Order: sequence, then structure tokens, then C-alpha cells
Amino acid sequence: MTPAQAELSGRLLPILGPNGVITDPVRLRTYECDGLTYHRATPAIVVLPETAEQVAAVVRVCDETGTPFVARGSGTGLSGGALPRADGVLIVTSRMRRIIEIDVDNRRAVVEPGVTNLAISEAARPYGYYYAPDPSSQQVCSIGGNIAENSGGAHCLKYGFTVNHVLALELVTPDGEIVQLDAMDPGYDLLGAFIGSEGTLGIATKITVRLSRAPEVVTTLLAAFRDVESGGRAVSAIIGAGIVPAAIEMMDALAIEAAEAAVRCEYPAGAGAVLIVELDGPEAEVAHQFARVEALCRETGAFELRIADDPAERAAIWKGRKSAFAAVGRISPAYLVQDGVVPRTALPKVLAGIEELSARYGIRVANVFHAGDGNLHPLVLFDDAEEGAGERAERVSGEILDLCIAHGGSITGEHGVGVDKSRYMPKMFTPEDLDTMQLVRCAFDPKNLSNPGKIFPTPRLCGEAPGVRKGVHPLVASGEAELF
Amino acid sequence: MALPPAKALAAIGVTIREALPEDAVAGVAPRWVALPGSTSEVAAVMRAAAEHGLTVVPAGGGTKLGWGPPPRRCDLLLRTRRLDRILEHAAGDLVARVEAGVRTEALAAALAGAGQELALDIPFEGATIGGTLAAATAGPRRLRYGTARDLLIGITVVLADGTIARSGGKVVKNVAGYDLGKLFTGSQGTLGVITEATFRLHPLPSSRAWIGLTAPGLDGLPDLAALAASQAEPSAVEIDWPGVDAPLSIAALFEGVAAGERAKAAVASLGLGKTAGEPVGGTGGESAAGVGAACRLPADAGDSRGGAPSIAFEPPAWWGRLPGEEFLLEMRVPPGAAVQALAQVARSAREAGDVPVRVRGSVVSAVLHVALPGDTHAQQAERFVSGLRSGLAAHGGRLVVWTAPPDAASRLDRWGPVGAATLMRRVKERFDPEERLSPGRLPGIPPSSGRQSGGGPPSAGRPSAGETPSEGRPAGGGPPSGGGERV
Amino acid sequence: MNPELINDCVHCGFCLPACPTYTLWGEEMDSPRGRIHLMKQYVEGTALTPEMAGHFDACLGCMACVSACPSGVQYDRLIESARAEVERVHRRPVADRAFRALVFGLFPYPRRLRALRLPLRLGERLTPRLRPLLERLDPRLAAMAELAPPVTRRVRLPRRVAARGERRATVGVLTGCVQGEFFPGVNAATVRVLAMEGCEVVIPPGQGCCGALSVHSGRAEEAAGFARRTIETFERAGVDTVIVNAAGCGSSTKEYAELLAADPAWAARARALRFADLAEFLAELGPVAERHPLPVTVAYHDACHLAHAQGIRAQPRALLATIPGLRLREVPDAAMCCGSAGTYNLFQPLAARDLGDRKAEQVLSVGADLLVSANPGCTMQIAAAARRRGERIRVAHTAEVLDASLRGLPPTTLGRAREHTSGPTSAERAQ
Repeated sequence: MTPAQAELSGRLLPILGPNGVITDPVRLRTYECDGLTYHRATPAIVVLPETAEQVAAVVRVCDETGTPFVARGSGTGLSGGALPRADGVLIVTSRMRRIIEIDVDNRRAVVEPGVTNLAISEAARPYGYYYAPDPSSQQVCSIGGNIAENSGGAHCLKYGFTVNHVLALELVTPDGEIVQLDAMDPGYDLLGAFIGSEGTLGIATKITVRLSRAPEVVTTLLAAFRDVESGGRAVSAIIGAGIVPAAIEMMDALAIEAAEAAVRCEYPAGAGAVLIVELDGPEAEVAHQFARVEALCRETGAFELRIADDPAERAAIWKGRKSAFAAVGRISPAYLVQDGVVPRTALPKVLAGIEELSARYGIRVANVFHAGDGNLHPLVLFDDAEEGAGERAERVSGEILDLCIAHGGSITGEHGVGVDKSRYMPKMFTPEDLDTMQLVRCAFDPKNLSNPGKIFPTPRLCGEAPGVRKGVHPLVASGEAELF
Repeated sequence: MALPPAKALAAIGVTIREALPEDAVAGVAPRWVALPGSTSEVAAVMRAAAEHGLTVVPAGGGTKLGWGPPPRRCDLLLRTRRLDRILEHAAGDLVARVEAGVRTEALAAALAGAGQELALDIPFEGATIGGTLAAATAGPRRLRYGTARDLLIGITVVLADGTIARSGGKVVKNVAGYDLGKLFTGSQGTLGVITEATFRLHPLPSSRAWIGLTAPGLDGLPDLAALAASQAEPSAVEIDWPGVDAPLSIAALFEGVAAGERAKAAVASLGLGKTAGEPVGGTGGESAAGVGAACRLPADAGDSRGGAPSIAFEPPAWWGRLPGEEFLLEMRVPPGAAVQALAQVARSAREAGDVPVRVRGSVVSAVLHVALPGDTHAQQAERFVSGLRSGLAAHGGRLVVWTAPPDAASRLDRWGPVGAATLMRRVKERFDPEERLSPGRLPGIPPSSGRQSGGGPPSAGRPSAGETPSEGRPAGGGPPSGGGERV
Repeated sequence: MNPELINDCVHCGFCLPACPTYTLWGEEMDSPRGRIHLMKQYVEGTALTPEMAGHFDACLGCMACVSACPSGVQYDRLIESARAEVERVHRRPVADRAFRALVFGLFPYPRRLRALRLPLRLGERLTPRLRPLLERLDPRLAAMAELAPPVTRRVRLPRRVAARGERRATVGVLTGCVQGEFFPGVNAATVRVLAMEGCEVVIPPGQGCCGALSVHSGRAEEAAGFARRTIETFERAGVDTVIVNAAGCGSSTKEYAELLAADPAWAARARALRFADLAEFLAELGPVAERHPLPVTVAYHDACHLAHAQGIRAQPRALLATIPGLRLREVPDAAMCCGSAGTYNLFQPLAARDLGDRKAEQVLSVGADLLVSANPGCTMQIAAAARRRGERIRVAHTAEVLDASLRGLPPTTLGRAREHTSGPTSAERAQ
């Protein structure tokens, strides 16, 4: 143990007890990365708090000692958002997983941050309710992580993201205060600003989410197309007809191959693309929309349609899609996932562009995407044993994001910027945009201790007091940081 | 600072005129009015204002300019009405990018051409997009589509120092960077000037149908929460209560191909639900299990006082309108406490000496507006507001006073307790360190005591009751002016 | 620990909620993802520390993570090789070594287990008084005493039982060690059910342990010895299909060819024999015998080595569903291990107890008359956990339930003998 580690653990042990503080180097290393293994850093200390008060006490120690801290839930993030700091404390919420209340009268649930997304829906199901946002990792990912990333999911096309479903938050601010944010409060929508801030504004310790009524009927359709282009035409036709499905997902041939290898989803043979369209709502509406969707799929070239009306059939259709990311491990030793977004109407052009990039660099790209909202998940496949393959994959990955930006899109639809995409932020935003965002950061975390190094490519110093500028900071002098 | 402010403003080439009496902001008269025509002109105005230490209040259509406490000072009123272009309507992407001064009616008309809409119900004529965002206005269909912050996907703002900043973009799904749009929605012009906004749109429903019914009083209210949560999926469920002894009108909106059919089914289920002894107001999970159980009328529904349910393809006249504007309060409660909140209104009105009140709004999203007569006695108003606020607090609710006649306003706590007042203040200090943007209009900051330096638990940030616009000059007291003049 | 198998893991974390120890403690290094990370550290040169060994030891080997993994990581093979490495490299504290020697010297040997029957019978009355003492001495000894089932009469099985009616198949039956000694009724039921469904059943005498306990604890050499002996026994009996009714034995016998891979001749002999779970086999064979009504509400518990290791979930449920009058209830969080996990409840008694308590609570929550499972360890474990709550769960093996239906016995005959109150009644002993 380094002296700094020893001093920190000496202060943290009385807060958490020996069972809640990890300093053993072998154990610490298991926390070196989240779902994105490309970036790694072993934290100085890991703590496993069980209460908000413990989180606040740990954060106060960090504040007093100037120690950076990073919050982590289940460690499933795909942008390195929970990448630890070698000189910092990793605060893991995996032991804060109580469902405090399912409040049917107020259609809400109150939970701790370590509760998994799916556990909320399961707890609400007996009452006929569920929690709408459903990221693909919903059985694993924690609601605290969902708050940090403003997670979406396949059904956010109709139902929106985490931010549209959170009613109140208790959070520990970077100076260790416990603060309540409530959507009913007058004043700034700090709740909205906090959600999706990737752990840079503090740590959510209690979360109140809206529960949604389970729809009267859910119908899921799987349409197989010869190629991605005709699938894309079907998507445009559906949206153009004024239908907002609960979800429209597409997978290309390579993604289908991976899912087939992993879970034997048995999608139609010979499909160059499959489209999953899910409609839900009142029976009369769904019946009408379904007839339209079916017709539009056939008109645009679907050669096989499968329809699921019950949960088991629906699960069979979704199985391949939900496992697609991890399933790629079956067809490639290594891969990078991107999360770019383009306007839906630009999908055909961007997909063609990706194909061209793939050919140019000799790197296979599997496409799994939320077609309804233009959120692409290109899986860039490579063999890390092959000389230079990793670099080429990185380049393809970066150029895909350039393509998204060029078409008026975004570098990330749901995975977050984290440490992985911060370097692309200046391509999407001006320095003024980023500076303005960091004003929020400075209001919450003037010492830059809460998950530093994420989202923003250049650290900014917040100054002692707003509007007052003092002598030149050493980081500014050395060119490592800029001052407002 | 070589030039005096008026000359400096003139030098930037933006339309500036002397203020008129009707330019007053909640009784505070500005000196000049700026009419920029683009984001960069707004930035130029803000830079000039910064240079001369001028306070600025941004304004759109002016429909809600009097809402909230009056600004402490207002040198310059920045009107966005010349920022009135619809910049982009990507119908295939269900997205529109517009300038802040676009009137909501104009936008609706343009979008309707493509069979689309911005699914916000705006209770004013002449409101602009910018003002709608700054005041976070929403209407009945918030139940289905959320509020302005839920539909906004990108924003351009100009800060107090003239910095132009954007966040979000023009794709529906986007988590790159902080969402400044959320922060600016409801910021009441205190953080910056909104100059552009991008929204996600919805297809216009092919048909709409309203169920209308009346209930003799609160005791006879059907289980609206169950209706709202029912799988018939109403887009809105609203009430109009003209007075605490009057019957309540209830209307529920259904949208879609089968709107009429679903409304009929819901009415049928109202009839079906005449099972005596069923509790009203509770939504046990089991009881809300389907359309059939969606809404139960008590046994006496449809009698001489309570009208039988009807179906209409037009909304009732009161639909989506505020109950009054002179003296307007907003209640926000958890949905399960909506009926208790209404009961609390009646109780507080009686306790304050039978103040006449009118309540309208959504019982199921639990945002309800309460209007009092403009001539309500200040003491009575104070008693009503404090009684109602503490009654709502017991159910986890909030009460905001949007507008009040001057003598009542001076005695009223506008906001009540604000959970994160310290954080809000810190955000304000970062965005507007010199407090030149709509000073005194932010919740959590006592309007006349200036900046507070941090510290203390957040709940300590409760504003003091005295909100006299001491520094503001009375309306009409500004310099005489010959109207629109390019200075 | 094959680095290629380690690299199959993409660190997605889908295994976390499936893992019993992660569910208990919420620590990365006690999740499959974390353990694979530890293995990676080890193969990359980090020394095997006692902490690392502790996290491998804490794995129940339930293989729920294998079912949950979308990337197809062969965690079963990884953890077995990690355990073997721990046995090879790591020196455990003296008390640990002594206890492990006791367990591995006892359980795989039916004759030694049999010798334990008398002291256990005495112990039944003593256990309540002995417990506090044992708890202080070593919680593992207390766990062992607590789990011991009441002693029932020995059942001697014939060497060969003819098929009832037309002969549809000839099969061997693996009698197992714990199953055979503590639950002889299950083997008898298995043989009867097979015979009634038209199988000629061969039960070779002198069967030993199949090697499951050893292979799941990293004692591959020992396991290989048991495997060779088992293969030889059934070759001599002249059968090519061997029915296994204990989940743990089923999964290890199915892996004989891999266990013996170093010796191609033996591996080939392993491949020539087919080991099949009873439910799996009966489902393939299809029912012929008449099912009599059995009015009973049953909670079916998925034994990990059946559901996760062998992928057998539907067949036992389908078999139970063929019984008229039987109502099947699903246990919430069914894929979670009960904490028994072979020898786990002996080596990691505290964790096992916590998991047992959770499982018992969930089993009790469905309000069934009878808990049915296909693994002796599970039923012992869950019954013991229920006793700690002051409740009783009647337990039976799938074979016993089927047997009762085929023979038209009333449901009251099921699970009675294993209630752990004051031992079997004199009436039962006289049966």
C-alpha cells in the first residue's frame, strides 16, 4: 500500500468497516474497467457503501483530501464512464440495491442506485406496471448507472429515455452534501441537467422513477429483407405513415450470424437484414397500425414475416437482438462498438458509407441499430492478435462517427461520452458550447473531483469564485488546462 | 467605456428603441427595448449590455412576462419577436428547428401541413417558442407526451456575456454532453437568452374524441387516476372546478384512429362500474387491471346533479385554458394525492374567509392551476396561500404563485421551500456572475438581498417573504418615448 | 486456465445477477466476470494469493453464469482448471486442509458413508445440543451435522429388473454415493419407474463415486480414477446407456471424455457410453405407463447441475405435467443456486446458509405441498434452511413423484420420511 492509499483507507475504514473497503491489489484490479475493456486503470481504493450517509462521508473525505472519485454501478457501461482513477476512490453502489417502495397510487417506485433496471419492472409487474426505459443490458445494469448515462433502450422511440421517467433524486454533491431534486420543485430543472451527466455532478443515492402501465396489447413483428437498404425503406415508410412504434430495430447479416451462433435465434435463412417492429397500446390502435406495418414491410420487399402475440414468441424474436453485442464475441476475437446517431432519413447514406469504410480498411462491421431513431451500433470486428488490426478498427470507428456528425447526428445516442469519446466532442461542439456546459460542472463540482476526465476533452479550472480571477494556475501555465 | 449605453447600443446596428409603458415587466419599466433579428445580433446586444453593466430581461410574446416576482431592475428588454423563422422541418425525421420568436400558432400551422405537431398544449395565444420554454409551459397532454423539456432535443442560447452556446442537436436520441436544454427550460430568463430550439414532433392523430361528464362534488368524483392509468390510454384527463361548491366538469381526451371507439369503451366502462361500495380515488394494482375496470362512477353518477357521460369531437370551452391570469397559482402534487389537493383547496378557501377560487388542470399528472379574483384582499390571499401550501406539503406537493395583484404579491412567498436552492444559486452564479439577467426572478434567491455565498443546508435557501420590487420603477415611469425608433 | 477461454469474456457483466455470490456480497471479484479477471491476472503472471484462491473457492460452481453468458464463455472449464491450479500451487491453512481431507475421504466412498449411518442415527438426537459446540469449533462441522438427513432403512437393489410389458430399452443405473446411502428410496423409485416405462434395468453392484465431488473441487486426478472405474463397471454390465438421477453426477459423467482426454483410449471408451439424466431419458422415450392422479401442489427446484450444466429444465416439468391432478408452481428466481452446490455447503457454510435461507423463503412463498428436485444436495440444503426458519418442507425427487403416480400411491407417501422432526416414526420404520 502506498502512503497515500494507507492514509485514505485509514479515513475510510471507520466509515465503512473492513468489509466495505478494498485495498488488496489483486482485488482492486478486478475493478480496472467497466464494459469497455479498452481503457483500464486500477483504482487506489474501492469502497462498497450501503447507505447514502456512507457515500456522503466518503465524498467528504475526498473533498477534504482533494482525492478524485468515480462512481460505479454494475460496470456495464460502454464508454468507460466508470473508468477508475489510479489516484482516486471508486465508489461502487452494488450493495445499495433495496427497492424501497413500489407506490402504485402515485405510479412510482423508489429505489437505491444499485438496483438493476429490470428488477424495478419485475417488482412492479404484479401491479400491472413497469419501468419503461429498457437498455439491452437491463438485467444487469444499475439504475444509478442509467441515471448517469441517461440510458435509452429499444423502446425509447416511443417512450423516451431515463430522463423522461425520473421524478426525483437524492444525490450526494461533490462536496458531500445530500440534496433532494424533485421534478415538482420550481426553479431550474437540475434533475434534467443531472441525468446524463455521467457521474460528473455527483452520485445519485436514491431514485424515484415513474412506473408505466403495461400496454393493453403488444405485437411484435419480425420482417426479413434481402438487404439493409430495403429494410431501411421499410423504416421510412412506417414513420412516414404517421406510426410511432414502441421499437424498430434492425440487424444486418453479420449481426444475425453472431446472434445465431450465440443464442440460436433462428431468424429467417438468407436474410440480409431483419427488422423487429413492436407496436403496443390499445388493441384497436395496434390492430390498425399492425395491418399498415405489415403491408408496408411487404411493399418494401420483406420476404418473410413472423408475428408474435405472446410473451414467449416475443422473447424468441427479441433474443437475438438483445444478445447481439456480447454475441459478437462468438465471431470475432475483439470488437469496438460505436453508438453514433443520424437523422433517420440519412440512414441509407450512412450505412452505405460504413460499408465503404469497411471495404477500404478490410475490417468487418456488423450493424445492430435502433432504426426508428437513427441510433447506429456498428460493431467493428478485428483480431487483436493481428498486427495493426486494432489501429485500423479504431480508425474505422472514428470515421463512422465523422460520418454521423457530417449528417447532422451525434457521436453517442445512449452509451455516453465517457473517456472513450471525449476526443470527438470538439467535432460536435464549439469551445464555447463546451465551456458553457462546464459552467454547470463548476457549479456542482468546482474542485473537479467527481469523475474527472470524462465527457470533456480539456479540463477547465473553475476558479476560486465566479467572476473573480486570481493568479495563474500551474496547470494553465503548463498548458494542461485552460481557464474560462 | 467611451460611449454612454444608448450610443453603444446604437453602434451595434441592432434595432433598439426607447421603452414604452406597455413594455413594463411585472410593473418594472425598462429603459430600452432591443429587437435583434438573429442569434448573432442577440449576442451583440448581450455583449454591449455586459460592457455597460445593463440588466436584461428577455421576452417573447410577453404572455407570461408578468409571471413570477418582478425583476429587481430592467435596463433592457430583449424582445425575440424578430427571431421568427422556422429554420428546418425535417418531416421524415419528425424534427423541427425554429427560432425562439416563432409564434406557437405559426409553428402549428406549418407542421400541420405535413401532418405533424409539436405535442405541447399552450394555453396562450401569441406565445413564442422561447417564452414557452423559459416558462416551461405545458397543457393537458403532458400526461401522454410530457412537457416542453421532454420534447426539446436541441437548444441555442446566448449567455449574459454574449457567448453563444448550443447543446443537444437535431437527432432525437443524443447523450453527448450536458443537456443545457433541460436547464434552460423553466429558467425564467435568468440564465441566458434562448434563441433557437429543436423539437421532436409527433404525427397528428387521425382523430380526437373527448369524454365529458360532470360530478356533483369531490365526493362524487369518479376514479380518474384509474382512467388515466387504464389501457384505453387517454392522452389527457382534465377537470374544471368553477368554485368549491360547484359541480366539477371532467373531460378526457383520446387520440388515434380509434379515438371515438376507445372513448365509447371508456364511457361504457364508466357505466359498468356502478358497483356500489367500491372505493373512489384509490388505484390498487388489481382494480386497474383493464379497460373494464378503468373508471368507476359512484352509484349516484348521472343523477340530476351529475351529468351523464357524453362523447364529443370538440373539446369543452375551458379545455387547455388557464382559469384566470390576474391571480394565478399552480399546484403540483403526486398523482395519488390529486383529490386530496382539491379538498385542500376547498378547505383553505373556507379558512381564508370563503375566497372564491377556480381550479383547472390535470388531476392525473397532478398539475392544477388555481385562480383567485384580482381584487382578493391581500390578507385573505396570504392566508389562503400559506394554508394551501402547508396542506399540499403534507402530501408531498408544491405551490407556486405565478401572478398576484401588487398588494397581495408584496406579502406572498412566491415559491415555497425549494429543495436544491443552494445548487440553483450556484448555477446562476456561474452563468450570470454579475446578476444582470432577469435579476430577482429565480426561485431560491431572495430578490432584494443580492447574492448569498453558499453554505447552509439546501432547505435553508427558502426565500424571505418580502418581495417588494423596491428597485424597480413603477410602470409608465420610464422616459417618454416616441415609439419604435432606431437609435 | 486457458488464456483463449479467458479472452472469450467481453466483460459485459450479464453474468453478475445470475451469480449467487455476487448477489450475496456485491463484489466484482466474487462474480464470474471478476473471477475470470483474476484468472487473467494469474495467467499474466500475478502470483496466486490467498485472496485470489479465496474467491475461486467461494464460487459454487452452479454454472448459472454459463446459462446467462451471451458470449459463450466456458466458465465451467475455466473454474475447474482454476481450482486445479489452486490445489496444485496454493497451500491452505492446516485446519482447511484437515477438513478437506475429511470430506474427500468420506463422501465419495459409499462404504465409509455407510459406516457413518450409526453415529448419525445417534447424532440425530444429539444434534440440537451439539450444534452450539460445533458452531464454536468450526461452522463447517456444524453445517455438516445440520445437513445430514435422517437415516432411513437401507434398500438393497437387485442386479437386474425386467421391463414391465414390452421391452423398449436396456439401461444401467448409476446409484451414486450420497444418493445411494442417504436417499435409497430415490434409486428404488428410479428403477421402478424405468421398468414400468418398459426398460430393462441393470444395476451393477460395487459402483463407486462417479468423481463429481472431486472434479468440481479441482481434484482432477482423483476424479479421473473414479471415472475410469465407473466406465469399467458399466462396460462390464453390458449397457450402453446409463441413467443418472443425481444432477451433479449427471453433469460430471457427461464430461468423462474431456476429463480423460489425456488418454485417447479411455476418452474413446467414455464416448462409447451414454450417460443420460432420468428426466431427459424419459422425455425422449415418451410415456407408456398409466399415470394415476396425484393431487398435490409441487414446487419444482432447478438443480444447478441439471438446469445450467446440462440444460435440462423443460423435461422434468413436462414429466410432472403428465401426472393428472398435480399442480406445478414456479419458484421465483428459479435459476439461483440454493447454496448446496456439491461440497460447497461444507466448505463455505456461511455463504451456503445465506443462499439456503433465500431459497427456502422463495420456495415457501409459492405455497406448495412438496418441493421436487433432482439433486440430493439441494433437497438436503433447502430442507435444512426451512428448519432454521422453523418451517418444514416436504421434499421428493422427480423419480419418487413419478413412481407414486405410476403406482397409484397417495401424495401423503411423498416426502414424509425426510421430515426432520424426531426421525421416522415406528410405523414408517416398519414399512
